[in-house]
Order: sequence, then C-alpha cells, then structure tokens
Amino acid sequence: MSRSVVYSLLLACFAASASADPLLPHLRLIAPAAPGGGWDQTARAMQAVLQEAGIVHTSSVENIPGAAGTIGLARFISAERGNGDVLMMSGLIMLGAVVTHQSPVTLREVTPIARLIGEFEVIVVPAASPLRNLSDLVAMFRAAPESVSWGGGSAGGTDQILAGLFADAVGVDPRRVNYIAYSGGGESLSAILGGQVTVGVNGLGELAPHIEAGSVRVLAISSAERLPDVDAPTFREQGVDLEIENWRSVVAPPGVNTAERQRLEHLIEAMVKSDPWKAAVERYRWNDRYLAGTAFTRFVSSEEARVQGILEKLGTGDVPANPSVGEVGRYPVFILIGLLITATLSAGGLVRERWSAAKSGGETVSVPEVVYESGGWPAVLLVALAGLVDLLLLDRAGFVLASTALFWLTARAFDRTHPARDAVLAFAMAVASHVLFARLLQVSLPPGLLAGLF
Amino acid sequence: MFDTLRLLGEGFAGALTWAHLAWAFGGVTLGTFVGVLPGIGPALTVALLLPVTFSLDPVSAFIMFGGIYYGAMYGGSTTSILINSPGETASIVTAIDGHMMARQGRASAALATAAVGSFVAGTLATIALTFAAPVLASVALRFGPAEYFALTMVAFTTVAVLLGASLARGLFSLFLGLALGLVGIDPLTGNARFSFGIPQLLDGIDVMILVIGLFAVGETLYQAWRHGRDGEEVVALHEFTGMSREDWRRSWKPWLRGTAIGFPLGVLPCGGSVIPTVVSYMVERRLSAHPEEFGRGAIEGVAGPEAANNASAAGVLVPLLTLGLPSSATAAVLLTAFQQYGLQPGPLLFANRPDLVWTLIASLYIGNTMLLVLNLPLAPLWARVMLIPRSLLFGAILVLASVGAYGLNRSLLDVTLLYVVGAIGWGMRVIDVPLVPAVLGLILGPLAEQQFRRALAISQGDYTVFLVRPISAVLLASAAAVVVVPLLFGRRQGAAAA
Repeated sequence: MSRSVVYSLLLACFAASASADPLLPHLRLIAPAAPGGGWDQTARAMQAVLQEAGIVHTSSVENIPGAAGTIGLARFISAERGNGDVLMMSGLIMLGAVVTHQSPVTLREVTPIARLIGEFEVIVVPAASPLRNLSDLVAMFRAAPESVSWGGGSAGGTDQILAGLFADAVGVDPRRVNYIAYSGGGESLSAILGGQVTVGVNGLGELAPHIEAGSVRVLAISSAERLPDVDAPTFREQGVDLEIENWRSVVAPPGVNTAERQRLEHLIEAMVKSDPWKAAVERYRWNDRYLAGTAFTRFVSSEEARVQGILEKLGTGDVPANPSVGEVGRYPVFILIGLLITATLSAGGLVRERWSAAKSGGETVSVPEVVYESGGWPAVLLVALAGLVDLLLLDRAGFVLASTALFWLTARAFDRTHPARDAVLAFAMAVASHVLFARLLQVSLPPGLLAGLF
Repeated sequence: MFDTLRLLGEGFAGALTWAHLAWAFGGVTLGTFVGVLPGIGPALTVALLLPVTFSLDPVSAFIMFGGIYYGAMYGGSTTSILINSPGETASIVTAIDGHMMARQGRASAALATAAVGSFVAGTLATIALTFAAPVLASVALRFGPAEYFALTMVAFTTVAVLLGASLARGLFSLFLGLALGLVGIDPLTGNARFSFGIPQLLDGIDVMILVIGLFAVGETLYQAWRHGRDGEEVVALHEFTGMSREDWRRSWKPWLRGTAIGFPLGVLPCGGSVIPTVVSYMVERRLSAHPEEFGRGAIEGVAGPEAANNASAAGVLVPLLTLGLPSSATAAVLLTAFQQYGLQPGPLLFANRPDLVWTLIASLYIGNTMLLVLNLPLAPLWARVMLIPRSLLFGAILVLASVGAYGLNRSLLDVTLLYVVGAIGWGMRVIDVPLVPAVLGLILGPLAEQQFRRALAISQGDYTVFLVRPISAVLLASAAAVVVVPLLFGRRQGAAAA
C-alpha cells in the first residue's frame, strides 16, 4: 500500500521534470537474440520510449543471439551479476528454450522485474485450403494426426507449445504432432502462405497483414474472448479448451541490491505509463500486460510448470519429436565417414606427391639452399604467440592493449627492423579501431585497464 | 506498366530532394565502409542506426537504409580482392580470382569490374524489382522444403569447380565444412549435437568466424610462413589504371549473366548471397574459352559473382516489400524498421503507402549510381593498399579480424575459435587444400539437411516428394546434369588439362 504511494509520488516527480531528471543516466538493454526478432523489436521499442519520455538519459541495445535466448541468459547471469543498470528481455519462449535445450541456467536465477506485453497466437490455413473451420481441423487431426503438418517457429517455442496444447485438448497424443520448425517468422510465414504446411501457427502481429489481405484464413485465436479488431473465433467458443499468450518480460541480473531493483521497477512502471509506450504497444499490435512484483514472480512459476508439462509430453529436447523422420541420426554419421575417407585420401595423395618429388628431384630438394632471415616456423610461431597474447589480454587488459600487442607481435613476424615505429603505429591503430567500433559503431569491446580514456 | 512508370516517376520526384540525396549519400558511404570491415555487416549497422533515425521521417530513414544495404555489397569485395580476406560471405568467391588479379598488379581492374558489375546488376535487378515484384513473390512461395533441398543440391554440384587441383583435398575441405555445420542445436528437434557441453556452441559455428579465420588469419600465418622464401610474391603493381578495353570485353557478359542468376536466387531465401555467387562462378568457368585461367586471375571470376551478389541483394527486397517476409538478416532488421514507423510490409504496403515504397525504390536507383561514382575513383586508391608494408598490413588485418570475431557475439570463445580456425586455414594452405569448399559446406550442409528432413516430415516419410513436385524434379535433374554433362562431353578437355 505504502509502496504504491511512493511509486505515485515518484512518478509525479519525474512526470513534472521528465527530461531534466532521468531515473538513470544510461540503461543497457540486452536482447538475447539477433537483430530483427521479437526480443530485439521489444528492446528497441523500449529504448525509443525510455529516451523519448526522458525516463533515462540514454539507452543502448546489445544483441546476444543464440539458442532461443539461453546463451544470452547464461551470459547475463555470469557477466552482469550485481549490475543495476542493465535489463534483459525474456519471456515465454525463454522458458520453453530452457527446457528444450536443457540449459544449465534457468530464469529462477535472475531478478524478475516485470511482464510487459503479450501477443496472441493464431492458427491459420492458406486461403485455398479445404479446411473451413476449427472442427474440420479437429476431425482431420483426430483421424490421422501425422497427416497434419504444423508450420511454426523454432523448436520448443510458443508455436510448438500451442500445437502441443491443442493436441492435448482434443485428445491426441502430443508426440504425434507433425511439427515443422522454421527458424524465424519470415521462413514459417512463407511456408504458410505458400501452402507448404497444412496449418500455420504464428503470432497475431506477424499474420495480421495477411489476415487483412485475405491470403490466409484464421481458424482460431488463442485469446479468452474475441478481439474487437480481429475477425477470428477463439478456441474456447469452438469447444477446444485452450488459451495461451506469448508474453515478454524484462529481468535484472542476479545479485542486484534492493535499491537498484526498486529503481529498475520504477523505471519500467514509468515507461509503461508513458504515452510513447502506449503508442508503441498499439503500433506493434501488442497487448499491454504489465505485471510486476510478487504477482509477476508467481505468474512466471505457474507458466514454467505449464510449459515444462507440455514440452515433456511433446518430448522435445531428448527424443526426435517426429517419429516419421527416423533417419535423423544417419546424416552426421555420413558426414563424419566422408570426412574420414577424404582425409585419408588427401593424406595418401600428399605422401605420394612428396615421395615422387623426392625421387625425381633428388636429395637436394628437401633441404633449403639458402638460410632465410625471416619466414618459416619462427614467423608462424610469432603470429601464433600474437594471437595467444591477444586472447589472454583481451578480457584482462582490455581491447586497446591487447590489440597493440597483437599488431606489434604480428609485425615482428614480417619485419624486425622497426620495433619502435611499429609500436607507435600498433597503438594508434588499436585506439583508432576502438574509437571506430566502440564509439561510432557501438560494438562494445572490453575496456580493460584503459577504460574511459578513449 | 504505364502506371508503374508514373508511380516510379513520382518516387523519383520524392527522392530527388537535397535532403534525401544527402541521406542516400550518407547511407552508401557508411554501407561501403561496413562492407569493408570484416564481421560488421549491414544488419548490425541498420540495427544500430535505428534509434538515431527515430526522429527522421520514414522516407529519409529508408533511403539511408537502402544505401547501407547496397553499399555493403559493394564494400565486401574490396578486402577480398586486396588482402584475400572477404568482408562478407557474399564475396568469398570473389577472393579466388580477385586476389590473384591483385597479386598480378591488376587490383584496380578487379575493383573496377566489381564496382561496374555491381552497378549494372544492382540497376537491372532494381528494374526487375520495380516491374515484376508481385509476380516473382508468388513464384517464390511455390518453393517448399523439397524445392529448397533440390536447390542446395544444385549448389553442391557447382562446388565441384572450386575444388582445386586435387579432388580428394577439395572434397576433404567440403566435408570439413559439413562436419563443422553439424555443431549446435538441431533446429528441427531442438536437440544439441556436437556442442561438447559448451553453451556458446549451441548455436553452431558462425560462418563469419570460419570466413575470417580461414582467410584473414590463415592468410596472415601463411604469408608469415612464406615470407622471404620467394621473390614472386612481391606484388608488381605500378599500373594503377582501371579496366582495359579487353577487360570490358570480357566483363560485360558475366555482369549480365550474374544478374540473371543472382536476382531470382535472391528472391528465394536460401543461403543468402553465397549460392548465386558460386553458381555464377561455375557458369563463367564453364562458358569461358580459357577455363584454365580461373583460379589464376580470370576477370570473369570477379565480374560474374560480384554482379550476382548485388542482384541477389535486390532480390531479397522482393519478398520483403510484397509479402513482409524477411529472408536475410538485413531484411529482418529492415522489417523491424518498417514496424517502428507503424508500417507493415506486405500485400497492403504498396496500396497503403505508395509514396514510401516508390521513393524507396527510386532511391535504390540513385544509391546505385552514387555507389558507382563513389567506388570507381576509389578503386586505384584502394589498390594502393597493396603498397603498405606487409608487417603493418597484416598487423592491422589481425586487429580487424579479432574485432570482427568478438563483435559477432561479444564472446572470447569466438576469438579463440577464430585463431584455431586460422591455424587450420594455414595448414590447409600449406598442403594446398582449397578454402572455399569448407565455407560452402558450413553454409549449405545445415540448409540441405533441414530442408531434406522438413520435406520428408511433411510428406510423412515419402521419398518421392522430391521427384513428383515439378520444380524440385527439374532442379534435381539440372544438379545431375551439372555433374554428368561435363563427364560425357568434357572428357577430352579434362584429359588435356590433366
């Protein structure tokens, strides 16, 4: 009670002097995905809103792509521990990915801040499909589950979860869902539009323009009730007990203190109440699903249990989800045998070449006639040393010093006559690249010992 | 047709303001620049610029983004030609003959044919985009997993021309790439394979790591190894002239063929700009009167692939603008950018915002012209990079390579992998194993596997799916023809060469 009073007081404070007094000078947002995906989109929308509303002075987005967000999660937990100026995008997909990819880290290790938005899922068929409505699909699916191919996003994601929940709800073993995973919305959308799959599962936002244009027909939407602006029946009203929303949230690193946590919570609350955020939510066709505090923590646990339950039934992560593709294991074996055979043949060829060269050219060929002042093993080892030093110094001493050493040692491999000149040029090159990449292109490089100088 | 011309005219009227021209110029300059830098591509650049452009009107922002996108395709060839270190995957094929040309002192001719070829291809492909976008997009939708699998098979057969002198070593390189492609999460099931418990390997080995490692780091080690051993490696440049009459005569057909190959393959989302460049290289080599020059500095081997990669870059815009389907990393970021302005690319964009679409298309023509004007005079200047002392040149290359690798995921593991791959690349150079097949194996292997299994999953295990679908059958037949026809008709040539 008193806490919300404090909130509103705080809010009133910086509503009055928004741009003059930001809550944080700089907020870093981490999108655990490549540029262009849903998390990246959310992070960049937040970045724009936070700056426009004056809640933070500046904000930056960093992408850490990989394994449906679990790489980003692992890095966030280890590298950002205790940092109070950084938030990472998270959500339902990450819960699924943690299970599917058997991630060693889970969402329980981070500091939950708030759920922000939600997006409903829709099941669609191409306009030319013989399936007119959901009961057609249910009938076909019950008769021969594998004959229905489901096109959607990556394995273990919301789209597959929905397909599994649907199977469960209509009494079909979720393992028999013939789910075709595509990487990214674009790929699965083209499979749906082109009629390559029987039904498509996707977020409403991505499909909305195609629904409007009439190129796909919606069989069902995963909301509890009909939406005012989308002409689509829900699962519930068609007799299938299914409701799901793909939600996205923000989390703080583990180990932040209470003050920092509260500051981040205030910041997010201020953001979701700002007009630019409301405009962004409308623009991206999101649902405003702001939920913070213990209610949010409870929500995450219940979703985690639900996702875990259905993914176990689907059998992702341990056994092939699709029994019709029994030959999964053959391909790696084929490649590795091919590698072995070609390696043997190449080695054999090399030996033959050397042998015939030695035979035809006489004994002098293998012995160099001139002693070279450079090149050969010493030069190669010098470059290798340069790389090793770079690796050792990069995190400890920072990019500028590591690169100076890398440049200087590499130059030594080619020319030993100008050590001083090369050292100066090496340092200049390192500083110039740091300014170029870290300042102008915003590729964050380890600052190390010379932090703040350039 | 007439209607399209009128709309395009209005687009030009919209684009030809001083402010828009300035944005276009800024975009192409920045694009060329990031194209040159290894690892930093147009996708990241556009993503970084998004917050800066919030305050701009969408037309200006998209003119600049279009410039960055096309510019990066121009810039990528520069480092391939000069220092045998491709800045983007799209220009790995260019490195083969382009760098040989540079070693022979013909760097500016190689750069010029790349620039003019990019201009010709970019312009023709933009014309195709202007007039045929909706038709092409609907054709692209008929490509399902079976067709994409067949397409990767065509690409695999074209790799044959890149295998080099020894078949065993060429195939070894290819299988090495294929094996590296096994690492990571199996996208169809979500199972991890060959990731050895290292979380960073779950997403597989980044193609850029392999490209920068094998080429830039491998080249540095190899040059250090060879340093002082042979006199011929000193580049005999001096002649900083552009293309000779002979160069023009040999280049114009590859430009046109490269465009014809690149644009349709760009419309199909399959392996980015790599497949068109390889196919173009194979076609040029097969059609050439001097196939033995390929790999030793044939200008056609630069002209064709460079035209192909620019044409495919324009092709990528077809599904993006007409269907809202992003088929490359940059296209995905451009889609985000559209959404940031409340615009939804797709069937309704042309109807709802013709002003924006046509101004964007007009600005692509303008950007292309600017890129030619910018890059042609730069070619002889760039060629002077060959005069930098090797000690400094390779020092700088390694610094840029390490930034490129680190910048991909900001992970020290990637830098470690970079140096390991570099050492492998050096070993491959020493025992004369070609590098390009490994890169293609890494790109094509996972694609082929995924599409193959998707096709079989949809057909419920019925293998005839590849033969009963007409497009797939035709592609598989042409893949077979690429292998069989030279065996039947080229035996005499092959015997002569051997």
